[in-house]
This record gives sequence, structure tokens and C-alpha cells, in this order.
Amino acid sequence: MRTLTTGFALLLAALGASASEIHPPAQATAGTAITIATSGSGSASFYLIGPASASKRQVQAGSDISVDSEQLEHAGRYTAILCASDGCASASFVVNPAAPNRLSFLVHPSRVPVDSPNRISAVAFVFDNFHNLVLQPESVTFSILPKDGKEVSARRNSENGVAWVRLSSARKEGATRLGTAIGHANEIRVVQQVAADACNLRIRASRTKRDLLVETDPVRDCSGNSVPDGTVVSFTKVDGAGKTTVDVPIKRGVAKVEMPVEGRARITVASGVVTGNELEVAGAQ
Amino acid sequence: MRDTAARYSSLAILSIAFVCGILVRDFRAAAAAEPPRVELNADNIGPRPLEDLTSKSVPRDYAFAWQTMEQALEENRPGLLEAYFTGLAKQDLIQRVNSQIKSGLHTHYEDRGHKLEALFYSPAGDAIQLRDRAQLDVQVLDGGKVIYDEPMTLQYVVIMTPGADRWLVREMQTTTGEKP
Repeated sequence: MRTLTTGFALLLAALGASASEIHPPAQATAGTAITIATSGSGSASFYLIGPASASKRQVQAGSDISVDSEQLEHAGRYTAILCASDGCASASFVVNPAAPNRLSFLVHPSRVPVDSPNRISAVAFVFDNFHNLVLQPESVTFSILPKDGKEVSARRNSENGVAWVRLSSARKEGATRLGTAIGHANEIRVVQQVAADACNLRIRASRTKRDLLVETDPVRDCSGNSVPDGTVVSFTKVDGAGKTTVDVPIKRGVAKVEMPVEGRARITVASGVVTGNELEVAGAQ
Repeated sequence: MRDTAARYSSLAILSIAFVCGILVRDFRAAAAAEPPRVELNADNIGPRPLEDLTSKSVPRDYAFAWQTMEQALEENRPGLLEAYFTGLAKQDLIQRVNSQIKSGLHTHYEDRGHKLEALFYSPAGDAIQLRDRAQLDVQVLDGGKVIYDEPMTLQYVVIMTPGADRWLVREMQTTTGEKP
């Protein structure tokens, strides 16, 4: 009878001393505190392993464990582990990004020729306040803010945290601002629009004391923007002495060169892939 | 006579077990010295198509990134993260290693491979976004005691950007596994 009573008491004790368990919420939001329920009894070690942290502290098994918002700022998978005298129990949960409130904005190139269709690319990465990539689709606004023109904007939905758009440069040279915005966040980048290749390149010739002065009209692109000084213009002369090419940078909007000419000569001009008019001239002799 | 034979047999068994132990340890160390297997699928990438060279260098550098991360988390050496991580990804992982050091923890990975799907390649070629389906066995150790041991399949969203001579992991975030 005594043995039976002892056995029954041991069975009751074993049933009463249940193993420790840990029950975090399945999902949480970045930067929001949570409470993790536990079962069991006695002193235990609580571990929280996250994307950017691994902490350990002593807790009482069976009581609720508070996890501060600062410990849950990084989105991703977290593992909560409770180790008591009867072993370790663990459970994982996911911390989702908070509302979108930051943007990372990439614009290329920083200098672009005018009137170039789809030459500018603008990419926005959508983040929350804690720099977590917000993967849910969000509406992102892209804007072009010209210096002296009307703002143009377009909306794109982000996909996996990324929204992007291709833009064409304006017909007029100068700096233009490109912006992107979501919630309270906005980012601005400046793109310099420069003149495109020369257009309608024309030369004229006049006599100097000894040589022939060949000079271009003011060099402009097809939209009428001045091609920047320093752009190289090539003058080619074919005469009795043979073929000669001289590369001259544009200065104050024009390029000019003095060339000796023997007999009849043909002079052509080019800048990059653009060719201009031809001149037929007679030499001094 | 029989006692001597039994003693020699025990010694032989112990010696074999010891050698096997060393071989297993060395084999595991050698395995860790190899970067994990990474397969890249770039069939659905856009808007820019992936260049041949980039399609080789991205999975190669991603594999090296995982190798160095696993080593850094196992040996608690934040310096290893300098080679293949940058930006927030590097900052977060360094923070993780430092907190492991503070708490006396280590994380051991058995990496069973990664299936990468290229999602987005920026028009200027300055950022690539990938989804990784990683198969891992993860152990967390407090000192020498294993407190957590679980095989798992995790899904990551990764952003890599080009560095001087390699692609670097700039952002790495675990997702629920569901396509958002």
C-alpha cells in the first residue's frame, strides 16, 4: 500500500512539473514591443536571436517576457529560446517592416545630353523608419522639377521594395531636379542636361595675310543649345600638298583654324559623328 | 593472456575512434572552407538583362558572402564581414556578432545550398535584387552547450551592389517565405 501511495505521489509530481514552453506571437511589426508567454517554473535563461542581435537574460519560467521595441527594429526572423532545468524550448517569429517612410534614390547619369529619350533612369528603394526594405507594394511618386517649368510627376507601384522609371531629358540645357516621394519622405537629385551633338555644322573661310582662316558658325545642337567649349571640331583639308586634319576645341562657341593652302583645296568639318558643309577654295598662288 | 588481448582490443578500438573523430572534424573544417552551393536563375530579371560576366560573378560573390558570414558568426570575428558586405547589411551583421560576443553565444551553420532568383537589375547596372531560398541547419551554442538546433528553409531578399572588384551584399532581409 505504501509503495502504491509513493508511486502515485511521484506520478502526480511528474505531471505537475510540465516542461517549459515559449509562445511568441507569430508576427510582429518592426519597432513595436511584444510580450512572450512562457510556461514552466523556476529560473530560466531567455535568448533572443535576431538579424542584428543575440541577447541572453535570466527570467522566471512561467511568467511573461517583455521584449522592448529597440530589440525588434530589424525586420526578419527571430528565434526565442527558453532554457530551464528541464531543457530548452524554442519558437520562431517574423518581424515585418513598419510603414514606409524612407527612400534610397539612385539616378543615372548625372550629366545627360538634351532631348535624349529614356536616357535617365531613376530607381527608388522603399524603407521603413528602421531601414527595413518594405516588400509590400507601395505607391511611389517620381517628379521632374525643372528650373523654369511646370513640375511633372508620375506614380509607380513598388515591387519587392523597388520602384523605377525611365525619363527623357528636356530640350533645353541646364540643371533639372528629379524627386521621389513616399509618405513623409522625399529625396531630390540634380541632373545636368548638356547640349547634345552639334547640328547643322557650318564653316566659312576668309583670307589672312599668308593663310586661310577657316571658322565655324556658333556651334549648336539641334535644339539650339550651345555645344560646350572644349568640344573638339576636326577640320580636314585636301590640297596639292596632301591631306591634313586639325583638331580644334570650341572656344566661346566657335572653332577656328588658320591653314596654308597650295592650289585648289577642299575643306571639310566634323564634330563627333556629325559632318558639316564642304568648302572649295583656291590657294594664294 | 585473454586479459592482455582484451586490453589491446580496447586500445585499438579507442585509437580507431580517436582517428575517426579527427577525420570527421577535419572533414567538417574542409567543408566549411568551401563556399556554399549557389544556383542563380535570371530568367525573369528586368529591366536590364544580366551580362554573362555578371551572371557568374553575382552567385560566386554571394557564396563567398555566406561563407564569410557563417564563419564570422561561428567564430565571432566581425572583421570577416568586411570583404563581401557593405552598408546596412554589414552594420547589422557586425552588431549581431558583437552581441554574440557579449552574450557568450555562437551560431553554427550547415549550409545545404542556395537557390537565387534574380528579381531586378537596375537600368544603370548599379544594383541587383535577388530572392534566395536557403537550406540551412542552424545551431546556437551558449559556450559549448547547444541551446537550439533546427533544419530550416529560409527566404531572403537581397540587394547587391558592385564594388571595386566584386559584388557586395548591401541588404539582406529574411521574409516570411511568401511572395509579397
